[in-house]
Amino acid sequence: MELFHQILPQVQKPARYTGGEWNAVNKDWDEAVLKVAFCFPDVYEVGMSWLGLQIIYGIVNRRAGILMERVFAPWVDMEEKMRESGLALFALESRRPVCDFDVCAFTLQYEMSYSNILNMLDLSGIPLKSEQRNEEHPLVIAGGPCAFNPEPLADIIDLFVIGEGEEAINDFLDLCLEAKRRKLGRKDFLLKAACIQGFYVPSLYCVSYRADGAVQKISPLEENIPEKITKRYVQDLDRVFYPDRPVVPTTSVVHDRIMVEIMRGCSRGCRFCQAGIIYRPVREKKPEKILEQASKLVKNTGYEEISLASLSTSDYSRVQEVARSLLDQHSGSGVGVSLPSLRADNFSLELAQEVQRVRRSSLTFAPEAGTQRLRDVINKGITGDDLLETAGAAFKKGWHAIKLYFMIGLPTETKEDLDGIVMLAKSVLALGREAGVPRGRLRVTVSVSSFVPKAQTPFQWEPQATQDELKKKQAYLAERLRQRGLVYNYHDPGMSFMEAVFARGDRRLGAVLLKAFEVGCKFDGWSEQFHWDNWQKAFKLAGVDPASYAYRRFKHDVSLPWGHIDTGVCGEFLKDEHRRALAGITTGDCRAGACPGCGVCSAFEIRPVYAGG
Amino acid sequence: MPRYRILYTKVGPARYISHLDLLRTFERAARRAGLPLAFTRGFNPHPKIAFAAPLGVGIAGEAEYTDLELDVAMPETEVFRTLSGKLPRGIGLINVKMVPDKAPSLMAAVERATYRAEAKLARQLSAEEINNAINVFMEMPEITVERKNKSGKIKKHDIRPGIFSMSARLNNSTIIIEADLKTGSSGNVRLEEALVAFVKNSRLPIRGEFILYRTGIYSAEEKGKFGDK
Repeated sequence: MELFHQILPQVQKPARYTGGEWNAVNKDWDEAVLKVAFCFPDVYEVGMSWLGLQIIYGIVNRRAGILMERVFAPWVDMEEKMRESGLALFALESRRPVCDFDVCAFTLQYEMSYSNILNMLDLSGIPLKSEQRNEEHPLVIAGGPCAFNPEPLADIIDLFVIGEGEEAINDFLDLCLEAKRRKLGRKDFLLKAACIQGFYVPSLYCVSYRADGAVQKISPLEENIPEKITKRYVQDLDRVFYPDRPVVPTTSVVHDRIMVEIMRGCSRGCRFCQAGIIYRPVREKKPEKILEQASKLVKNTGYEEISLASLSTSDYSRVQEVARSLLDQHSGSGVGVSLPSLRADNFSLELAQEVQRVRRSSLTFAPEAGTQRLRDVINKGITGDDLLETAGAAFKKGWHAIKLYFMIGLPTETKEDLDGIVMLAKSVLALGREAGVPRGRLRVTVSVSSFVPKAQTPFQWEPQATQDELKKKQAYLAERLRQRGLVYNYHDPGMSFMEAVFARGDRRLGAVLLKAFEVGCKFDGWSEQFHWDNWQKAFKLAGVDPASYAYRRFKHDVSLPWGHIDTGVCGEFLKDEHRRALAGITTGDCRAGACPGCGVCSAFEIRPVYAGG
Repeated sequence: MPRYRILYTKVGPARYISHLDLLRTFERAARRAGLPLAFTRGFNPHPKIAFAAPLGVGIAGEAEYTDLELDVAMPETEVFRTLSGKLPRGIGLINVKMVPDKAPSLMAAVERATYRAEAKLARQLSAEEINNAINVFMEMPEITVERKNKSGKIKKHDIRPGIFSMSARLNNSTIIIEADLKTGSSGNVRLEEALVAFVKNSRLPIRGEFILYRTGIYSAEEKGKFGDK
């Protein structure tokens, strides 16, 4: 490892590559019959902030005879040194090359990380396309939210796991062990895997296309292989494995704190939100369970902060009680509690004020749209009055900065909706002045992203607004949001366009990914690394028109490229939600008692789980 | 409040922990150990942990010091016992000593540090050649290096007064250089710049990069390690 110590002092943040953190698991290489590399297609600080990694790492490593080690995408400076000196991509724990493992398991958290998957395979000396790999190469699998439209990666990945991983990963490991015992070949292994719920082997399905280029049909190539791949889910969050000895990074990462998941799923039904569909139904953990897990985590990690993680933390039935108990138990040893993803209402505000030991200077709210009409379209159950009342109260209580998140390019958006964003922002600013926040400190940040239609949502049929439109809208807002105390941020429309292409793409995009890798695309989620021109080159070389993907409007009666992936939410519900959206009709919160009829409970014979209180 | 002076190694993967991250690492380890850490008062309390001279990222530390304050006095052996099993790989406790209330802070007391640097040679050299190179270097009346100041301007510094001693020996094809350098807020000499100046002056055929170690930190008056008195 001489080479390692020669290279590391020459790169930024070398602690990204060393391993050796508290709770990292170093299993004996030779004693493990099965070796799995967990591959996160982004840098260490991003990957280590993701709870799913800790869950999967914990589950695999507690099994005898199996080891899991972590692999992250090396930042560009490190990659350069590695390629220069012929150092192959390695796992942090044993520093062994990735190609020595039996399995490479990637997580798909965002579309803009796809180019990194190819780059990581290449750095490992593993052929990029599934069909080019043989028994000597690791099996390349993937899971995570983007696997709900796996098609753009169908040529690359051998096996996708759709849905929640806690139980599925064990099924996968069992099958791997059986395959080793019985000396099953790759082909036979994949055939067997494809019969397990939630396991999708893209090479065992064929796609036919219509004359206009749209997908006609996706059908299994072999008998016994299911036509639809139904997601995996965990029935009882209180009983499923939760990592109480997570790896504690020694260098600061994005989310550098204890994360206790208090609830999975969200009952609100925002129509643009993919997480709101794929994690249905809502399952809350019992307060006792949360407290027990938090205590173990404090003891085992030494962290100074506990974050109550979920898609919408103030919706958890007993959030106040849980937060108070945690403070009672742990504030004495300098441990605080934080509440991410708060709703813009008074309850949340009071909760934040009560709980947060270290007052954060800013509060974040996500009204998403500027007018009530458009908020009804997207089913964002928050009113302008709610927001203004909460913002006013926040300023009076001593906050002096508020962040507002909006989207532009939403279906049915007009100029009035943009004006609505401006009005809301200015009203919030005015409230700050009224409340007497000093001029120099008063800040209202307006963060505007571009709507990306996502697979499996009510808006999956909608096109993305064109880049020209988005740019015009951004300029329109920029002109009107110039005022002392207002800060306006917006996203690169080119990046949002790429996201849209892959979010609703099909397997013909595999060729584009290969070309994109060849022309050097990587870290596309990092604005300084994203190169629009390189991507255009890749599309041209692959003979694919990206606009036909991003701007495509699907009819309700045509096949969707991800139509064979089943979230449990029925297609009719999504269509109905789409129609209601366009008519401006809202749909109630499933938590409130009126079942909106998404179908997930009957599909899986489960019920939402609320902790009561 | 009781203050403990901790002598430890920072090697292996831990050599890449930055100075700032090291503070958090000790705080978290102390919490895992169940030690009653003392915190500063005020709006944003932080633990009372202080280090001697910062160690550059990538340099292994073989005898580093940290002062840690607790709310409640505990026997030194107890602090050692609880903390030693709770540190990440590469940070190893050597010794824990309680320091008197009025003892100067670590930072203020540090005067010099000793280092070792190892590198491969591109061709075999004799011990004589190496000793000569060192002698010539140490006889230079002035060794100027360029440093960027905070505003980005390049300024020249004479580091010769800060190089108290330097020696070199051979181990097969590896050259091992040992140096005793001025450390602290004034006249500080970085090992890397001393090595660059030496290699430039001696034209020794070094292959690749030096692997660096700090072997000790010393205060002015004691001429000995902090923990040794």
